[in-house]
Amino acid sequence: MSNLTATAPSETVVTPKAEKTHRELRAFNGLAHLALIFWALVTAGPLLWVVLASFKSNTEIFLGEPFALPSTFSLETYLSAWDQAHIGQYFLNSVLVVVISTAGTMLFGSMAAYVLARYSFFGNRFLYYLFVSGLAFPTFMALGPLFHILKNMGLLNSYLGLILVYIAYSLPFTVFFLAAFFKTLPHEIDEAATVDGASHTRKFFQIMMPMAKSGLVSITIFNIVGQWNQYLLPLVIMQGQGAEEKWVLTQGIANISTQAGYHAEWSTLFAALTLSILPMIVVYAIFQRQIQAGLTAGAVK
Amino acid sequence: MYAVDSPPTPARSPQTPPAQHAKPVRRRSQREARVAWLLSLPTLVILIAMLAYPLYRMIVLSFQNMRLKELFSGATPPWAGFDQYTKALTDGVFWGVVGRTAAFTVVSVSLSVLAGLGIALLMRRVHSKVRIFMMVAMMFVWALPQLVAAQSFRWLTDSDFGVLNYVLTKLGLDYATHSWFVNPWEGWTVITVLVVWAGIPFLAISLSAGLTQVPKELLEAATVDGATPWQALRNITLPILKPLLTIVTTLSVIWNFGLFTQNWALRDGHPEPVYQTLATFSYTQAFGRSNYSYGSAIAVITVLLMLGVMIFYIRQMFKIGEVD
Repeated sequence: MSNLTATAPSETVVTPKAEKTHRELRAFNGLAHLALIFWALVTAGPLLWVVLASFKSNTEIFLGEPFALPSTFSLETYLSAWDQAHIGQYFLNSVLVVVISTAGTMLFGSMAAYVLARYSFFGNRFLYYLFVSGLAFPTFMALGPLFHILKNMGLLNSYLGLILVYIAYSLPFTVFFLAAFFKTLPHEIDEAATVDGASHTRKFFQIMMPMAKSGLVSITIFNIVGQWNQYLLPLVIMQGQGAEEKWVLTQGIANISTQAGYHAEWSTLFAALTLSILPMIVVYAIFQRQIQAGLTAGAVK
Repeated sequence: MYAVDSPPTPARSPQTPPAQHAKPVRRRSQREARVAWLLSLPTLVILIAMLAYPLYRMIVLSFQNMRLKELFSGATPPWAGFDQYTKALTDGVFWGVVGRTAAFTVVSVSLSVLAGLGIALLMRRVHSKVRIFMMVAMMFVWALPQLVAAQSFRWLTDSDFGVLNYVLTKLGLDYATHSWFVNPWEGWTVITVLVVWAGIPFLAISLSAGLTQVPKELLEAATVDGATPWQALRNITLPILKPLLTIVTTLSVIWNFGLFTQNWALRDGHPEPVYQTLATFSYTQAFGRSNYSYGSAIAVITVLLMLGVMIFYIRQMFKIGEVD
């Protein structure tokens, strides 16, 4: 600093001001940390509460001491939720449906987005707008007719019907996102592959898919989360005779809570709520590297 | 050989190739068109079967009068012309629901976009470890099923055993058995807090990803030139962020306008008239009262209303996706 002032006198005027702004910036950064930590508590608070309450017995919940730790960390409430409230069955149903429908969404969505983004052919714009226009319609709009159509096709109260509907509701955003993503990828590599005689299939699976990995991971997580969360669609589709055995997790949870009222098992409800978060922890653990890479990419100075 | 006669960016600028190459190129582009249609086919079929056709049926249904009898017998319901629409449009209750849904959408979207943007901007300034911690916390909130979040909030605001009343009472306020849903303003505040709380993570994560596109050098240069942080935000950061902001705001409006799960669950599956939104209203009319046609007419009007207000932004959103 002194060197600077010696060689360039004009800087002397600027330096104190720069130091001041620097100090202000540091103070501001401190405040930013505080604000974010506070917000993290607000964000995570309700979640932690649910987890804490899931270990408590019913009596403990109604003691009126919401901040107290449970007397023992027993898994009894979880066992009761898993077996008696059939949450185990619903959990597995949900996993089955979401795995198949996310896989289907990603396969069909990436194929369509790829050709829409990289090929110029007659009808390209028409297909693109047809596909993404689904984004503009709120989910609940076509529920009534959807119900009748599935009924006529015999797909009401069947996993196939639910999976097809999940895929249909996820495709518009998937195509929209991936088409934009495929367009940003360089053209040189797949042109080189074409010269070397690679087939369309090979170009798609061995060149485009690896290059688009980060985009594919993001949208996969988005779809898993979205489909795992669905409540309204299964509520409409999974009804009728014997539907209770085929319910997905969200329906099971809603069922506990409508039955619970003040009488029965609130603790079971909280155990079920906690169980519903588990798959997201698994998804996060699997994709941890990609997620963190994506998150820190822009942060490296 | 292909590399020579293929245009530099085939997807964007289909140029007319030189005459002597015309024949092979056309054959190749025909083959490409076949492949393209083939690969789009599954998406096309599923979307037409599960979204477009139901939408068409909904419009047809809204001009009929379908009740339980027709539902079970499978007979074509009698045509009713614009009766269902007249019924809805002359119904004060319906307009009340429209106003409520619109007001909720405006308030909740503005709050969550502002908060999401603020958090995204703050996250640029903190240590990378704090940032990752924040991201993880937000991932979990975002991943939480809406229903689960609503159930947690129902418990937090429970009049007898809720944490909120407990804390307020401890602070010396008389909230011991206060019910949060008697006064609709309070009830809607709870619903709005829930929706904003659950909506912020998606916005903050996308916007902070968008902020990484803002070149640091540009901001530094502006600061050196004496720009205040506010000026830098308004004149550099926001313009670069604008396309992304348009997309996430438009999506938030569409999602929040269709509010169903949160008010449905917080009111135990029987929302009182004052807690009805267009989604729950249409659902209750169609499935609760078996007025399938009336429910459809409400749904059609809702789509038209929303498209009327949002068409400009929706078009912009699609354009952005196209160019990028």
